[in-house]
Amino acid sequence: MQTFILAGGFATRLWPLTEKRAKPLLPLAGRPIVEHLITALPTEFPVTISTNAAFAQGFQSWIAQLQRPVSLVVEESKSDRQKTGALGALAEWITKEQITEDILLLTGDNYLGFSMKDFLSAYRTGIPLLAAHDLKNLSKASLFGTVITDPADAALVKGFEEKPINPQTTLVSTGCSVIPKETIPVLLQFAASHPDNIGGIFEEFLRKGIPVRCFTFTEPWLDIGSFDSYLAAHRLLVGEKTLVADGSHVIDSVCQGSVAIGKGSRIEKSEISDCIIFDDCEITDCNLSDCVIDNHCRLTGVDLTGKMLREGTVLRLT
Amino acid sequence: MARHRLLIVLWLCSDALLFIVSFILAYFVRVGWIFSTNFPFAAFLAVVIGTTPLWLLILMFQRTFRLTDTQADTKHFLSLLWSNIVGVALFALAYFFVYDLFFSRLLLVEAFLFSTVILWFWHMFFTALARRSLWRDPPAFPTLIIGATREAAKLIETLQRKKNPLRPVAILDGRGTTLKALHGVPIIGKLDKLEETLDRHHISHLIQCSDIEQSLNLLSVCRNRSLTYLLLPSVLGIVERDEQVESLENVAVMVVRPQGLPT
Repeated sequence: MQTFILAGGFATRLWPLTEKRAKPLLPLAGRPIVEHLITALPTEFPVTISTNAAFAQGFQSWIAQLQRPVSLVVEESKSDRQKTGALGALAEWITKEQITEDILLLTGDNYLGFSMKDFLSAYRTGIPLLAAHDLKNLSKASLFGTVITDPADAALVKGFEEKPINPQTTLVSTGCSVIPKETIPVLLQFAASHPDNIGGIFEEFLRKGIPVRCFTFTEPWLDIGSFDSYLAAHRLLVGEKTLVADGSHVIDSVCQGSVAIGKGSRIEKSEISDCIIFDDCEITDCNLSDCVIDNHCRLTGVDLTGKMLREGTVLRLT
Repeated sequence: MARHRLLIVLWLCSDALLFIVSFILAYFVRVGWIFSTNFPFAAFLAVVIGTTPLWLLILMFQRTFRLTDTQADTKHFLSLLWSNIVGVALFALAYFFVYDLFFSRLLLVEAFLFSTVILWFWHMFFTALARRSLWRDPPAFPTLIIGATREAAKLIETLQRKKNPLRPVAILDGRGTTLKALHGVPIIGKLDKLEETLDRHHISHLIQCSDIEQSLNLLSVCRNRSLTYLLLPSVLGIVERDEQVESLENVAVMVVRPQGLPT
């Protein structure tokens, strides 16, 4: 089975963290978000990541230090307006590489708490499979695309609803699915007219009479699309701990809640709670809470709450 | 020399010249169109010339020579009035100190009136010319607007109508508006296009009209690139235009005093 990871978004809601890096490369508990997905995959699965020209270099650098081979497909777009769409990128890759195997399709900015082995065990040859998270809360489900299953067979999908006002179910679709090789022609045909509607392919399968199966899970699932969801994922994975990477120093400081500190950073005489601090930062005499601090920031004598700071920010209280 | 610096130098020189001309005019109006032997013109002119730099300094301290400010308002008129009163007083003082005698008091009044009227009209005329020069392509101060809001639209319209040297050339909107332009100024995209927009348009000023949560990051960009950062009070929720920037123990603070409150 081939694995195709979508990582071509520009993640404008996470600006300025995504100014120079793709969202799946944001650090989460000490390693990039996408690395959490890849390490969960069977080692024999070839992995391809689809990204855009703006972030290609970042992926190349990251792939170079990975333990397993990963191919990169680069979409020639440098902005949101030029994007060909996720489904279009998938179709292009299938055509170009003449893919004739089943495809495990993943979204690079999702954190999936379930076992990939369990998910793949639920796959039946020739039947598309998607992972659906049970939110167990109807009002929360109304914020996502919901998956309506057959009352007679809970593993069989009957339909979908996009952000319904009155959801019929608490199951929401996630960025994890299997596209069987038998359905590739349908996918290519649909992608030609709907290159940006990746979720729509499963509705198309149902319209064409192709059954779609659903793997339901209750383990954590996070779609990291905003500052809040990024911090929520950080809290979930790090827990009540402080992760300090190699070459970083925490001196005379108090770290509370979930704190992750990247390489080569120095925290001195500060209070840090629920923060992600990237590489090579210097923080002295600060009080930071719920913040994400990008590389090479220099902060002295400031109190910040709920902020994302761009790379190289210098704040010195004078 | 950059266009705006050249204009400032021209403005300073022309103001100095017109201040001196006003006094010369007052001299001749007072003593007649002759060179009086009782009141030597050369001595008079020397003191006027000596006083002029001090008078210019007073104007500079009052931040008169700002090409982004309009001159046609009461604030600037009162500022000029005050500077000229001090200028005339300085002249009188200097003349008395140097020559130990006094002359026509009416000359002082006339010099004050002439300098005020001449310079007031000159300031309005000069800034109108300067604005045209700074506005034309390529603009002297290409300005980036952050936020496609109602306040931003109003600001752009005002800057365009008054041909303010800060010429809006592009807009970025963090919320991803569906609008394509505001008053002809293109909306380029979201904040991820910031670096590219700053480079492409050679931005010199950034005016934040929205996205308060990104203030720190926008400031960071401006500091790194030596751009001037401006913030509309409406971003902080101050939309009634009753704010003032004041000093509290030498710390700059923005003050809003609803009517009826003591200062």
